[in-house]
Amino acid sequence: MSDASLITTEELATRLKMAAEGIKKVPGLMKSSVGYMELLQKYVERIATAKEKGKFVATHGTQQPIEIYEAMDVVGVFNEFWGVVSDVVKLESVPEALSISASTGTPGEVCSFFRNMDGLLHVGKWPRTDFFLYATSSCDNVKAFHTLGRRYGIASFGMERPHYPFTSRALDFWKNEHKRLIAFLEEQTGKKLDYDRLKETVRLSYRLTEICLEIDKLVAHVPSPMSSECFGGVLLALRLMCGTQDAVDFLTGLRDELQERVDNGIGAVKEERFRVMWSSFTPFFDPKLMGFMQQKYGAVSVCEMLARWRGESKWMLDPDDPLGNLAYRTQLAPGNCQYAPSIDWAENSVAQARIFTADGAIFNNNWGCKQAAGLGPIVRDELLRHCGVPTLTIACDVIDNTFTSRADIEAQLDGFFEMLEGSKAYQERRAHA
Amino acid sequence: MNAPLQTLNEMQRATSPFPESVTVKDWKATGRKVIGWVNPYVPEEIIHAAGMLPFQVAGDNEPVQMQGAEAYIYSNTCSYIRTCWQLQLDGKYGFLDGLVSCSFCDQDKRLYSVWEYYKKLPYMDILYAPRKRDEEAVHLYLGDLEDFRDRLSQCRLSRIPDRDVANSIRVYNRGRELMHRLYELRKRDRPPVTGAEALEVSKAAARLPRERFNELMEQLLDEIQRTGRQIKKARRLMVIGSDLHNTNQVAALETLDAVVVVDEMNCGIRYAWGQVDTQLPPMEALARYYVLGRPVDMHTWNSDGRLEFIGEMAEQYKVDGIISEIVRFCTYNGWDKFDLKKQMAQRGIPILELDLEYGHPAGAQVKIRAEAFMEMLESRAG
Repeated sequence: MSDASLITTEELATRLKMAAEGIKKVPGLMKSSVGYMELLQKYVERIATAKEKGKFVATHGTQQPIEIYEAMDVVGVFNEFWGVVSDVVKLESVPEALSISASTGTPGEVCSFFRNMDGLLHVGKWPRTDFFLYATSSCDNVKAFHTLGRRYGIASFGMERPHYPFTSRALDFWKNEHKRLIAFLEEQTGKKLDYDRLKETVRLSYRLTEICLEIDKLVAHVPSPMSSECFGGVLLALRLMCGTQDAVDFLTGLRDELQERVDNGIGAVKEERFRVMWSSFTPFFDPKLMGFMQQKYGAVSVCEMLARWRGESKWMLDPDDPLGNLAYRTQLAPGNCQYAPSIDWAENSVAQARIFTADGAIFNNNWGCKQAAGLGPIVRDELLRHCGVPTLTIACDVIDNTFTSRADIEAQLDGFFEMLEGSKAYQERRAHA
Repeated sequence: MNAPLQTLNEMQRATSPFPESVTVKDWKATGRKVIGWVNPYVPEEIIHAAGMLPFQVAGDNEPVQMQGAEAYIYSNTCSYIRTCWQLQLDGKYGFLDGLVSCSFCDQDKRLYSVWEYYKKLPYMDILYAPRKRDEEAVHLYLGDLEDFRDRLSQCRLSRIPDRDVANSIRVYNRGRELMHRLYELRKRDRPPVTGAEALEVSKAAARLPRERFNELMEQLLDEIQRTGRQIKKARRLMVIGSDLHNTNQVAALETLDAVVVVDEMNCGIRYAWGQVDTQLPPMEALARYYVLGRPVDMHTWNSDGRLEFIGEMAEQYKVDGIISEIVRFCTYNGWDKFDLKKQMAQRGIPILELDLEYGHPAGAQVKIRAEAFMEMLESRAG
């Protein structure tokens, strides 16, 4: 079994640095694309150098209170993101890691975010990790954290979340789970959490939310000023770096640039023909697809469900109760409703489609995601029923570029945009734009 | 050749046709409600205490074509879930007055959402199935149970009192005790029933009024005692993994000079396991039983206990080999595969892994693999 194409942490950091430099020389891109690549590089660099700096490293699942890690000087590795960032710089790595995972007996039908981790752990190429952290505000695959923890001698802690997350009982329980997480981290690191520091990381995180909402308003502008090369920046800042000044600085710069573009009437493309929402996730498996869609169809990505807050998202209920705020934040957080009842996700999708005046939705149906497989049709039907927004469903793997061919996807996109253009709802929307 | 069990025939008659059986029709004819339940963290006792019939939503012995379901639930969902939804689309579950599920897995959760969105029933509810087995989990689950009782009480327009829950616990405890006795009999060198027959018994328990089932179960145990029935097969097998409801899948294995003497399924041994503590307040007792009182299952994060349980049962029932069947797209079983194989190897128990579609009969490929496995077991024995 070859492991020659697998990307290492160090290689990832180096390649991202080169990419950040390279991007500076590419004409026509948004200025913030450099900051985006630098933030990405910083994230990986922190992981690559954590051990030499004597820091603890936590590999974690989605919907985690990263602000606590930041306050405790624990460096987080978001396991899902690792495959995504691998795809940004080296598409061959993930399929090879998946092959290695398969060789251990892990079935190909489970989520490739986790199979990628499984494969890399098996050959010792996963970032050195002290503990695994996860929660049920995710999917069944988080069981892998315990399973792999047992296999590789890595301690793990999981947080339970009730099915309906917004009842007072559920929020109390969830807050208590945060306390248990802190107790686990204190035991593992031998360090006590400094609550003043936590207040500060929570404050930074809240600032990030506020800037995100400002960015949303700008992106909702017609034509949308956000070009594909920066589209993932909000997701990166929110989901991986919340609680850090670096993330606040990056999003502040991005917001200012978007404002400038709106003021000057600059859109992502010269002629914005379609506004696309990603009703599950963006095409992580093909980082260039959104750029291609802009160029070929004039189709601009205006929103995606993993990086958009619901409503006003005023989750800072009491500045002196950082845990209470966090417990609420991690429930409200973008993408969290994917793990709640399907109708919650669907209603959020409808709200986002209205805010961003989407013309069409693309639902990436990730082969290994059972959450999505069951909620996709409801989201599709709600979008059509309430906003006249049709959905293209693409069968794909979230990070495995070899699962669906680009040619196949392009053929589907050709048909979808042709259909969209001819639809009455689209023509009415355009007439009002 | 053993004669068919008369009592089992009666159980099958009472639960036929599937799913809207003669028993269900009789029940409905008296104006009483039937509540479907989907997975093992829905306590039937509470539905029973409400005077309603708990009925497990599942497939049966006939494979179901699921193309219709795939318009609502994509095909990368497990075929158990798609089967249930297809049966609903086909009108087979039109007799249900309600549905209760648990977020046991992503797919259960989505089946509930699809049902709620496209075919809302007069009563619908969903609970959380804790992934841990500790006091916090009991506390969390108990809160959900109390909410469930409140909502079901509203549905029937009167409070479900503790005493009725306590009574239902006694009825279900009796059922579990009787089913467990049958499991104990299967430890014999020559067990009195086949695995296929035992599965039919478990299915009947989930489809009949529990009092009636208990009566039949007592008759069945008497009949076994009276007839001295013995299954004479060379090899003893254990079936583990996803729930099976198509008895033919087990029967196919038993055509190979083998008998399935034990299983590890939620619809099998776990369904017959243990007793709810009647000394505790009834709701707390239910919460403790459902979270802590049964063998660790696949959905628990820490599944070490599940693997140990499988190993212990395999040894207690003196099995020659294990058939691990996984319905495709089952995440939990998928993540247990590696360690399961390793731990069974350490115990010296051979294991055959089969990927199946729920409800579909064993195809030629499965049969060939099963035959080869039997030959391997034979050579080990020799």
